[in-house]
Amino acid sequence: MEQNTVLHAQNVRKSFGARGNVQEVLRGIDLRVLEGEFVGIMGPSGAGKTTLLNVLATIDRTTEGSILIGDADISKMKDRELSAFRRDKLGFIFQDYNLLDTLTVKENILLPVSLGKMHKRVAEDHFKSIADILGIKELANKYPHEISGGQKQRTSAARALINKPSLVFADEPTGALDSKSASSLLGTLEDVNKQRGVTIMMVTHDPVASSYCSRVVFLKDGKIYSELYRGDKTRQAFFQEILKVQGVLGGDSVDTL
Amino acid sequence: MTLFDLVIRSMRKNIKHYYLYFFALIFSVVLYFVFATLQHDPAVVKQSGGTMGTAFKVAGILLLFIAGTFVVYANAIFLKRRSREIGLYQLIGLTKGAVARLLILENTLLSAGAMAIGIGAGMIVSRLFLLLLMKLVGFDGFIELTFSKTAVLQTILVFIAIILLTSLQMLVAVRRTTLLGLFNAEKQGEHPKKPKAVRSAFLAILGIGLIAFGYWLSGRMMNALLFINMLVVLATTITGTYLLFRVTISWLFYQVRKRKQGHLGLNGSLSIATLMHRMKGNANSLTIITVLSAMTLAMLAGSYSLYYSTGKETRSIYPHDFMFGGYGDAQEEKETKQFTDELDRQGISYLYTPIEVLNLDGRFFEEETITSWLSEMFSANIVSEKQLQQAGIDIEIPDARTAYFYDASVYWLMKTTEVPFSVKLTNPKNELDVSITKVKEGNILNPPFAGTQLVVDDAFYQEIKEQFINQEETHRVGTFFSVMILNKDQQAEASEIYHDFTKENDRLNFDYYGQYESTMQYTGLLIFIAGFLGLVFLISTGSILYFKQMTEADQEKRSYATLRQLGFTVQDIMRGIVRKQVFVFGVPLVIGLLHSIFAIKAASFLFMSDITLPASIAMAIYVLIYLVFALLTVGYYRKTVKAAL
Ligand SMILES: Nc1ncnc2c1ncn2[C@@H]1O[C@H](COP(=O)(O)OP(=O)(O)O)[C@@H](O)[C@H]1O
Ligand SMILES: [Mg+2]
Repeated sequence: MEQNTVLHAQNVRKSFGARGNVQEVLRGIDLRVLEGEFVGIMGPSGAGKTTLLNVLATIDRTTEGSILIGDADISKMKDRELSAFRRDKLGFIFQDYNLLDTLTVKENILLPVSLGKMHKRVAEDHFKSIADILGIKELANKYPHEISGGQKQRTSAARALINKPSLVFADEPTGALDSKSASSLLGTLEDVNKQRGVTIMMVTHDPVASSYCSRVVFLKDGKIYSELYRGDKTRQAFFQEILKVQGVLGGDSVDTL
Repeated sequence: MTLFDLVIRSMRKNIKHYYLYFFALIFSVVLYFVFATLQHDPAVVKQSGGTMGTAFKVAGILLLFIAGTFVVYANAIFLKRRSREIGLYQLIGLTKGAVARLLILENTLLSAGAMAIGIGAGMIVSRLFLLLLMKLVGFDGFIELTFSKTAVLQTILVFIAIILLTSLQMLVAVRRTTLLGLFNAEKQGEHPKKPKAVRSAFLAILGIGLIAFGYWLSGRMMNALLFINMLVVLATTITGTYLLFRVTISWLFYQVRKRKQGHLGLNGSLSIATLMHRMKGNANSLTIITVLSAMTLAMLAGSYSLYYSTGKETRSIYPHDFMFGGYGDAQEEKETKQFTDELDRQGISYLYTPIEVLNLDGRFFEEETITSWLSEMFSANIVSEKQLQQAGIDIEIPDARTAYFYDASVYWLMKTTEVPFSVKLTNPKNELDVSITKVKEGNILNPPFAGTQLVVDDAFYQEIKEQFINQEETHRVGTFFSVMILNKDQQAEASEIYHDFTKENDRLNFDYYGQYESTMQYTGLLIFIAGFLGLVFLISTGSILYFKQMTEADQEKRSYATLRQLGFTVQDIMRGIVRKQVFVFGVPLVIGLLHSIFAIKAASFLFMSDITLPASIAMAIYVLIYLVFALLTVGYYRKTVKAAL
């Protein structure tokens, strides 16, 4: 079966800084993500992982190159269109959750559908099924300050999934979690990916986290260094492979956060 | 690096935080300086004399109080915004003492700068205010503003005191806080708790109930318990306002939010949710702002109305330009003649009319007309309508055998009395019941002769005269001599002649124009001071709301970043924020306006004229100033949201 391309980036370049002091962070990235993939992006600190994710996720603009998400060329869109696109088609999970303190768990999760385009009953159904999968149904009326980090990240994940996005971006989602909460969250993301067919792109520098993915892309100095496919391998075996590449990369498995 | 270098560097880096506090300081200096200048300005001193000087002094103290509170408040907000930086200094090893020294040095530099700029700006605008003041008190000579050393000195002294105060405040802030607390100070803001159902509902409704009761009572204060009533009205409305901000609004929000079951929407998330989070911390200041602005408005509307209606009111109390006369004193006619001769010599045309008056004892005897306010007996001056018409006074003619009641001094008490009612006219041998069909505003004779005046038609007048006046009672018939100036432009000149004349003859002087002029001066000053203080107050409270909102915007920056990452446009977010601002500024505004409307209504018995217009003008200005501040905060929010991503 031919899989649809969800994201297609060609020769993506990104520089920061003004004339005279330009730092090129992304130096020509080509990447194709297929529907239903769970792509991990790894690389040492400062490799440009976050920059790449932001650029792909329409939060930041490229300096050069084109990005297609579905059929839409986001590098040609205006800011307003980008916003609407983000809201309707994409989901986000951040390292430090980015929940709104003033909203309850449920209100936070329903934010992306809060402009009222989705019928309230439909939204309620979505909420129920997602909260069920993520195991946060009981927390619906709690405020972020009343729940644990793992629960916050699940809330954040639920918020990313509420509008049935075609693509979910996650930047170091386990970065602030203890290993038990981390693996529980990753297991859930894996389930969501497999059972619901949600395409996920996750930045991480943790080999354990990336071993949950179906493919891992290694980034070094703003370029793609190599790629690993999990295929039918066990997670353990995949993890060992990832470690090997990381060793060659001279990575930073003890990268501080 | 010396402490001074550090100060300069940190000041340069912190311009963004400083400018807010800096403006607050400059603003206070300017206003205080303007006031001090006016207080010492020779033209004002000459024009005003003793009473105005006292009014200025009292107002100056009030202004000092407002300015001081405002600066201290702004400083507190400023310190809170900088708490992270203060914490950082301590983290890199500066002692608390050194940090305090740093802050105080900064504060002193900043205040000195503000003082210099403020005094400079004050010199420019004080001329404007002087012109305004002189115009208000009706002075139209040439005005020269002299540079007042005293004013400069006074301003400097006052602001040195304020610098000491704010420095102390900084010292306390640095001393009291722990390193951890300092880092968290900016994030503080309570988390809304689920209100205790019964208690909150009770208090929420009590708040509204108290305000409603206060409003209700304010319309029914005019009885023997007036003073207690006033206290009760004040206490209930203030408590009610506090409960409204502290409980009612949160409670209502909570109910709305509960019903939404999590489907709050973006607008709700940005308005209701954030407001709930901050209601507790804001309740005190919102209450104070609301109550004080209501008072300011009432004061402003009141003084404006006094000023606005000076001409009309003086005319209603002094219907004749000049009046001489008395009972059985032939001297008066001669004096009037001397005065009119002088008018002739100066070429001033006038209308001269003798008016005959019967003076009888009057008595209220009907149940409803005997109030605890007035004594039962009064001295009644009976006047014929015909003579008044001849004197050029435009009056309504009562029906045959009835009278109209005139007495400016008790009009405010009598105006609610139901007509017709009867009064008894007596002398030792006679008695007559006269039906009063109208209680009219003002007087029909000039004070001090006026007393209570009963106007009747000429036939009835003659009848009463016949019945009451016999040989022994002739002293009961008096004649007053009315002099009306025909050309309004000559009124001032005539008044001057009159004043010279009365001084020479050692007589009391009560003339229309003289009264008008001095009332104008008095009310002009009153409205100037009320307006000035009101303006200062409105701008101060508006700025405080603005500062608070700026701080809030900075605290919410991360939320805006998140929302924009989730795909909400600046416009989407601004819609929610505008709703919040409408609430933040609108609620104190609306409640303040409501309060003031009831306060003005309750006090309206003091004012003879209709005060709808002046009250509306004062309120419109109030709304306008708040609107400007609301727009400023929205602008700041927009900037923050735009920069968030
Ligand atoms: N907004 C920015 N302005 C300037 N430089 C930036 C900006 N964002 C990232 N960088 C630079 O780009 C490089 C890559 O950053 P990032 O993508 O965050 O790396 P990673 O997430 O892989 O650790 C870093 O050297 C960083 O300093
Ligand atoms: Mg990163």
